[in-house]
Amino acid sequence: MADVKAEPHTGAVKFSMLIAGAVFALMMVIGLVMRAAQGNLIELEAPFFYQLLSVHGAGMVGTAGLSGAAVMWYFVGRYVPLSARMYWAFIALFLLGVVFILTAIFIGRYGGGWTFLFPLPAISGEAWEPWAAALFMLGYVSIGVGFLLYHLAVGYPIMKHYGGFARALGWHVGFGGADPADAPPPAIVAAAAVTIFNTIGIIVGAAVLVASLVHLLVPGFAVDALLAKNMIFFFGHVFINASIYMAVIAVYEIVPEYTGRPWKTSRVFVLAWTAILLFVMAVYPHHLLQDVVMPPWALVLGQVVSYLSGIPLLAVTAFSLCVYLHGSKMRWDLASSLLVLAVAGWSVGTVPAIIDGMISVNKIMHNTQWVPGHFHIYLLLGVVAMSFGFMAWLVRGTKASESGMSGLDRMAFGAYALGAAGFALMFLISGAMSVPRRWAVHLPEWVLQDRIATAFAVLVVVSTLVFVIKYAVRLGRAPG
Amino acid sequence: MRRPLLILSIAVFGSCVLFRQTLERDPVTHVLLLLPALAVAGWLMAVSLGRHRLRLREADANALTLLGVFAILFWMLPRYIDASLTNPLVEAAKFISVPLCIGAVLAVSWKATHPFLRGFLKANALSMLGVLAFLYIHAPVRICNSYLEVDQQRLGYGFLFVALALSLVWAVPLFFPADGGATPNKHLSGRATA
Repeated sequence: MADVKAEPHTGAVKFSMLIAGAVFALMMVIGLVMRAAQGNLIELEAPFFYQLLSVHGAGMVGTAGLSGAAVMWYFVGRYVPLSARMYWAFIALFLLGVVFILTAIFIGRYGGGWTFLFPLPAISGEAWEPWAAALFMLGYVSIGVGFLLYHLAVGYPIMKHYGGFARALGWHVGFGGADPADAPPPAIVAAAAVTIFNTIGIIVGAAVLVASLVHLLVPGFAVDALLAKNMIFFFGHVFINASIYMAVIAVYEIVPEYTGRPWKTSRVFVLAWTAILLFVMAVYPHHLLQDVVMPPWALVLGQVVSYLSGIPLLAVTAFSLCVYLHGSKMRWDLASSLLVLAVAGWSVGTVPAIIDGMISVNKIMHNTQWVPGHFHIYLLLGVVAMSFGFMAWLVRGTKASESGMSGLDRMAFGAYALGAAGFALMFLISGAMSVPRRWAVHLPEWVLQDRIATAFAVLVVVSTLVFVIKYAVRLGRAPG
Repeated sequence: MRRPLLILSIAVFGSCVLFRQTLERDPVTHVLLLLPALAVAGWLMAVSLGRHRLRLREADANALTLLGVFAILFWMLPRYIDASLTNPLVEAAKFISVPLCIGAVLAVSWKATHPFLRGFLKANALSMLGVLAFLYIHAPVRICNSYLEVDQQRLGYGFLFVALALSLVWAVPLFFPADGGATPNKHLSGRATA
């Protein structure tokens, strides 16, 4: 470690974002195809629809994780020395996992959903062979091991450099009364928190994955279904949240370049991130509100923490962004526009999420399209927009002619914001009308919403292609 | 040589031999008390004989640590736990290999092992203890011929408690390291630019 100096590993990060951008685009096309099929615009065999649903879910969550990891690696690398070899090992394991998952789905015809909910992978009704389910889960194991290495590679230098996670989280400022000037930068506080909760999530996920694999090989070893569901949703919830919380570091680091005001670590910021650290892990029972055999206290915890979870985000990141933007001489280009859009979208996304986190609402809405509505806001208008903003910033030009937004940028940005908002809104409207989620075939009464959503999805796909192609074209010549 | 530690090591090992039958009667004490105690005896012996004089290269330390992990995995296999109860040769191998290949080896290699490998092994240990807990609690058959199904279920819960205890023991120093970290609260000068 001694010979490694702090640097952002731009080449490796750019490569990761190229992969992430391409996979995001591909997964969006798959999403478009599924919505078009539900709207009877094209025909898909139902088993193939569920294969696409599985690859779309796993692909989007995995790629959100990859892009968040790349963002965090880049900016943490500004403050502490990181091992490039570990990053490449992470990428290699990630790609190996992707190969396993794609093989399981498109050759093995696995269609049990990205949540691999026990015991579904083992009872396919001969839609897929056990090896396909096993390979799908081995793909997750490979990605999980990659992320474990990644977090060790980020967490260890942070711990050594800042004198333990307590100080990296800024607890000496938040709880010890130390001067906020002594606090680590926001990127480090966020990275420390994410490293802690995502590592715990991965450890839990690894245990349930291996247990599920054992069950596939020796069906007599049956996991307690409720325990497995708790572990899966703890792992899944923590992982997807980690991807957002990693990506938000781009906002903390990039927006100050546009406003001219550094994003500072305040006492409130520290307390908010400590709350996030706890809430992200405690809130997962809101995924199990329909499991009536769950202990009531756990469900109440899920609802109450759902209410609380929005506060650190809204009070700190969104409010702080407004303060930093207000009265500043903000330069608007594609990167800054997408990053601000992402914080706005993420904040708005908390509203349907909190509504769905209420037990009385969840009883009715949980299996409707309300749920994909809320997480598509988080993803399309949150973490994916942050990733595209980061990509645009990575290849920003230095010439005066390249600053600001071109006509194409404006059109692509507008189309993306409109398409993503409209697409997610159609899910919410459908959910409010009790249209079920995860159904390959829709009743005629539901088809109109599907078709409108398909049109919005086209806007999202086209604008995404503009972002990704522009990024790829500029990769070679921009300063990054 | 640190004589008190050597005496302590011999005492722990002797206690394991002396109370062998009592400890092996129950799988919980066999796996979660006897085996760790044997490893501790080996660890103490290595420390007492001056492990600090060994200057291991990191690669060698990594290899030795993996040897120790392999030995742990070997003695986690139910068939060898079973065999040690019925075959005196396997029992003897256990009393020799656990102190030497786990305790002594890890005493020599652990500190010099790459920190990423140590962290990786710790994280995996927690996951796999969880998996073992699942296997022993939910197994539809007796995993060890020498023990009853209810005993193996108790052992499963034992693995779970060990996982929880280890997660606390290993996590707390990450937050509050004894040495306070290498360069506490100092940002690197000359931040790299994009």
